[in-house]
Amino acid sequence: MAKILMQGCEAIAEAAVRGGCRFFAGYPITPQNEIPEYLSSRLLEVGGAYVQGESEVASVNMVYGASAGGARAMTSSSGPGISLKAEGISYLVSASLPAFIVNVSRGGPGLGSIQPAQQDYLQATKALGHGGFKLMVFAPATIQEAVDLAYDAFEYAERDKRPVFMLIDGCLGAIMEQVELPPMKEVTGKETMKINLRRYEDETRGPRTITPIYPEIILENLNKQDVKLYDSWAENDVKVEEFMLEDAEYVVCAYGIAARVAKEAIINLRQEGYKIGMIRPITLNPFPKKSFEKLNYEQVKGIVDIELAIPAQMRDDIALGVKERAPIYEYGRCGGILLDDSDTYNAIKKIIDGGNA
Amino acid sequence: MEYKKPANLLPIQSGYCSGCLHGLATRLIADVIGEIDQVDNVFHVLPVGCSTLNLKYWRGDMIASAHGRAPAVATGYKRVNPERLVFAYQGDGDLAAIGLAEIMSAANRGENFTVFFLNNQTYGMTGGQMAPTTLIGQKTTTTKQGRDPATTGYPLKMCELISTLEAPYYVARFALNSPKGVTDAKKAIKKAFNYQLEGKGFCFIELLSNCPTNWKLSPLDSLEYMNTNTIPYFVPGVYKDKGVDA
Amino acid sequence: MKKAIVISGSGGQGVMSMGIMLAQTAVAQDKCATYLPEYGPEQRGGSAKCTVVIDDVDIISPLVKNCDIFLALNEQGYKSFINNMAAGGVLIYNSSRVTSKIARTDITAVAVPADEIANSIESPKAANIVMLGALIEKTGIVSLEAFSAHLEQKFASKKPIVMEKNRLALQKGIECAKK
Repeated sequence: MAKILMQGCEAIAEAAVRGGCRFFAGYPITPQNEIPEYLSSRLLEVGGAYVQGESEVASVNMVYGASAGGARAMTSSSGPGISLKAEGISYLVSASLPAFIVNVSRGGPGLGSIQPAQQDYLQATKALGHGGFKLMVFAPATIQEAVDLAYDAFEYAERDKRPVFMLIDGCLGAIMEQVELPPMKEVTGKETMKINLRRYEDETRGPRTITPIYPEIILENLNKQDVKLYDSWAENDVKVEEFMLEDAEYVVCAYGIAARVAKEAIINLRQEGYKIGMIRPITLNPFPKKSFEKLNYEQVKGIVDIELAIPAQMRDDIALGVKERAPIYEYGRCGGILLDDSDTYNAIKKIIDGGNA
Repeated sequence: MEYKKPANLLPIQSGYCSGCLHGLATRLIADVIGEIDQVDNVFHVLPVGCSTLNLKYWRGDMIASAHGRAPAVATGYKRVNPERLVFAYQGDGDLAAIGLAEIMSAANRGENFTVFFLNNQTYGMTGGQMAPTTLIGQKTTTTKQGRDPATTGYPLKMCELISTLEAPYYVARFALNSPKGVTDAKKAIKKAFNYQLEGKGFCFIELLSNCPTNWKLSPLDSLEYMNTNTIPYFVPGVYKDKGVDA
Repeated sequence: MKKAIVISGSGGQGVMSMGIMLAQTAVAQDKCATYLPEYGPEQRGGSAKCTVVIDDVDIISPLVKNCDIFLALNEQGYKSFINNMAAGGVLIYNSSRVTSKIARTDITAVAVPADEIANSIESPKAANIVMLGALIEKTGIVSLEAFSAHLEQKFASKKPIVMEKNRLALQKGIECAKK
């Protein structure tokens, strides 16, 4: 199939539809408006439903209802709106309902800035709602990668009976880039219905109850199942790009748009003889801890965490793999200011030369 | 005539407090669902509040929602399952305070489901705090001297508010403290469900109720309190019926 | 060979559609392209800028500090980004609106009176196509055939006169750059 030029937000929306999305509810907020705008007409073409909610809170709860009703359901927002969705995300997890949620992130905290940033890493990976749970978090770096991950999002969500989260920055949402779109998946909708609690199982078709409230002992057992789920993610579902690590003395860690800028800088620095590589998490949850654990620390002199966030938010996760065997340096911009190839090149060079000195 | 428990209520005793009209309201809805042969087709959206207890008594497909969000959850469910008979059952804190945006917006979109609003003028489950519907002068745990409009405003009249919207099809209020009120309410519940099955759109039925426990009245006195205080302020009646008005 | 093109002007000058057309043409030619729009707070009348990167292989970073090609559509845009050009780059500026003297000597500067040309063919909105004609002639960043085909496709649903005017604007831009 021929490649076409497509905008990040629209490509993610189209990939979700091709992956079976048949319900979307959302609320306008920059820089993710192209997702609801696109789906408001696209979903009707495939027999789905679109609702512009009265708030992010209402929208995520509509997704909760639609998911309970068997549809592959999606919502999207940006930082401030994701904070509002926290309630519904926690309820989705508690009720074991699948969904696909996208954060096209901007500068923060507060209303922050409408310009791109990566300042929602901690929210996405550690605290998307009350009660202590994690979602699988995808962080694509190209539009094609975003399309491929969005296309499969519902497969993971239904396998785990839990929403899947995608974190991209506003830059990747706004960029247009060539993509190859996957074919439409056949979905019947109803067959995807996942029920967490079944009563009257002796009846041919017992009444079904979906609830986010449990007796204590059942809740504890459900919480315990999360341990197995997270272990299984760490074992089977880590997605990571390891770039030029063989002889690397310095290892950059970056995700999303920051990783693309960093990679360009690494290639240029390599031409000057600097031995640098990169670990690019594609899943932020599960985090590619093993990639850092297995580095040869006889050879690696430092890790450089590059993000559109100050202070860098991924650092603690990196540290768990590095285990104090090498120093972790940080470089980034934030608040809506982007990285560029030249400044990033200079920053890495300065860290390395400073480190050598 | 055989008098028995409706098919979609479990054969167990309800846990509502003695004299509470929640049980009666639940029973009326369940009865009607049986009468219109929708036991297997009904989908029940639960709120947060005393009526979350229906999780235990109700037999049928149900979903429990976050506080105030039942109309949003019902919207999502009904949009992808238009053939199902969907209703939300909400209390006054849930519907008229934290869920005000959700109820008004669902009503304004004319969503094709039914909402039952149990108005007992208090937060029963959390121990009797002031609700948006608490009457002026009524004592609660957060208005110990009685509700003072100077700092807390006035009780919200939801039927009046919702009937100003263009989209809703049927909006009515009944008091459950008299046989006539109960009979009228049941007829209205049936009417609302039939409207939904005909695809007419949003129907809203407010059921005036009591809370003997938090009002600190005997069940009988609480019914009388409704006559002298609740009903004069929240006037029962049909506020909108496009099926008749048309 | 990776080439970064910055286009800047004011809202309403067709800055964004120029960028999209270039990127779409490049993809149609089996090249790789990224297009990054940057709006000011206002979507109309404010400043507008976009960055297009075109390469034969996958583009690693779509964010570049210094561009190889700069299309300045007005004075403000020119002033904002002239110092973000790589040495040896090509500047194509709308001399109908850019009033500054071009001070940089390490670049190739091409003056195109795009508004005057567009007005002369009674199609003032086609000034951006005039600029693109000059760009294609001067740099060959995309092929004229592919771009013409893209234009035909883009205006297929419009009245034939629209296509004619744009074809003419493109031709005038090419001629201007040849001088």
